[in-house]
Amino acid sequence: MSARRRDGVARVVVTGMGIMTTLGEDLDGFYGALMEGRSGIGRLRGIDERVSARIGGDLSAFDLGAHLTSAGGRYPAELVERARKLLRMTPLSGRLTAVAALGAFVDAGLGPGVVDPTRIGHVLGGHNLNPAYTSSNLAMLREEPEFIDPLFGLVGLDTDVLAVSSEMLDLRGPSYLVGAACASSNIAILSALDLLRAGRADAVLVTGGAMDVDALWLQGWVIMDAISYRSFNDAPERASRPFDALREGFVPSVGAAAVLLETAASARARGAVVRAEILGAAASSSASRTSKPNLDAQVRAIGAALQDADVPPARVDYVNAHATSTTQGDAVEVAAIKEVLGARAYQIPVNSTKSMVGHCLTASSVVELVATVLQMERGRVHPTINQEVPDPTLDLDFVANVSRSQRIDVAVSNAFGFGGLNSCVVIGAAT
Amino acid sequence: MTRDEILGAIKTNMLEVIEGARGREIREEHSLVRDFGADSLEIVEVVSRTMKQLKLKVPRTQLSDAHSIGELCDLFLQAAVTAGR
Repeated sequence: MSARRRDGVARVVVTGMGIMTTLGEDLDGFYGALMEGRSGIGRLRGIDERVSARIGGDLSAFDLGAHLTSAGGRYPAELVERARKLLRMTPLSGRLTAVAALGAFVDAGLGPGVVDPTRIGHVLGGHNLNPAYTSSNLAMLREEPEFIDPLFGLVGLDTDVLAVSSEMLDLRGPSYLVGAACASSNIAILSALDLLRAGRADAVLVTGGAMDVDALWLQGWVIMDAISYRSFNDAPERASRPFDALREGFVPSVGAAAVLLETAASARARGAVVRAEILGAAASSSASRTSKPNLDAQVRAIGAALQDADVPPARVDYVNAHATSTTQGDAVEVAAIKEVLGARAYQIPVNSTKSMVGHCLTASSVVELVATVLQMERGRVHPTINQEVPDPTLDLDFVANVSRSQRIDVAVSNAFGFGGLNSCVVIGAAT
Repeated sequence: MTRDEILGAIKTNMLEVIEGARGREIREEHSLVRDFGADSLEIVEVVSRTMKQLKLKVPRTQLSDAHSIGELCDLFLQAAVTAGR
């Protein structure tokens, strides 16, 4: 492994990953799309025409049956059957998240009897996961209360997104949701790290829960001027342009991802393939309910994560930035990276996965952890696309438009959420 | 509305929802739980789908009295009569 751990603290490794986004339903497809610089952003289906925002990453047409059939041999037949039965009556968020969870579980080489299920936890990063499903039931309620989805009282809860995957995979250890707006999934990783270091579990599945956005949320973000809605409705693939001078807001995207974190001892005992190590993590607050980024709180989160990882700034090789394509957010993050990493910030690539996949909201940090580990394993960094008009105030190496070879031993992944919530995870390459 | 129409709708929804019913003969004297292994959520879903499909409302307080598919049919038939259909 690439960094020294404090004596007596359990090391935590990544042994499985799964992905479910507009850029791919499996790791190779996702990696290929990222390296090509492909955009997963298009017109959103079924949005009220009066809503100004109409672009994003749309997975409303996701076909579970086709996915399970095409995934074929990758999944054990028993798990495919469980997935078909459980997910039939599950809203979109739970379906997408479960597919990512299934991918991570199988990628980790887990299955019945491999690890004691009472020692496998599940932490889901996310909240407000099913607004589109809730809106459609609200419309039905107005028409005829008896005809709402009969399972609404159960599957309308965010906890059902966690529970359906836990039942599918028989995860019986500590399980709960972590909510921190767009930092939810990074803080879910932090929480899983704590569970594993504390010995409360041997493995923890961390899922980034897909948020199935609806017109109400889009319009809410339009009114706040948080999302892109002015210039790119007719060129959606150009809308997510972090760091570029023409950026005008984030681009929401529906997507999910999952990683299986495990103590190094557990992974070693069962001969699992280690994909990467979670070296450290940290979170901070700016004690603010607003959406405004805060330099000091971001610096504290990144600095504390490096300290937790016992990694000096000079050893950081790459930053997967939060970089949502908002005017203020990207600028403050660049300033925070410079403040923590000093001269090193100018020597390393800093890219934005969101430039291609969009902002997967509460799931984004797990999506970006998967992107980070794939780049680390394959020695290549993906581009930040839509770099057309450089912003003279943002002067780091954003890997503009074209991928390139890059050795990464230590990576930093940032995430910052509305409500002053900041987080950072430090990842080390497997050795 | 005829008893056959109601039974047809219940059967269609059972086949969609209850795995244990697929490929099996479904008769009025059968029980959803005993004969096809349906769980409580699946029963709720079969009843709700049938109500929506037939545009009929069966009082949910009476559903626990229906132990067989035939008795469930009786409740729907009664609702059709009440609705003047």
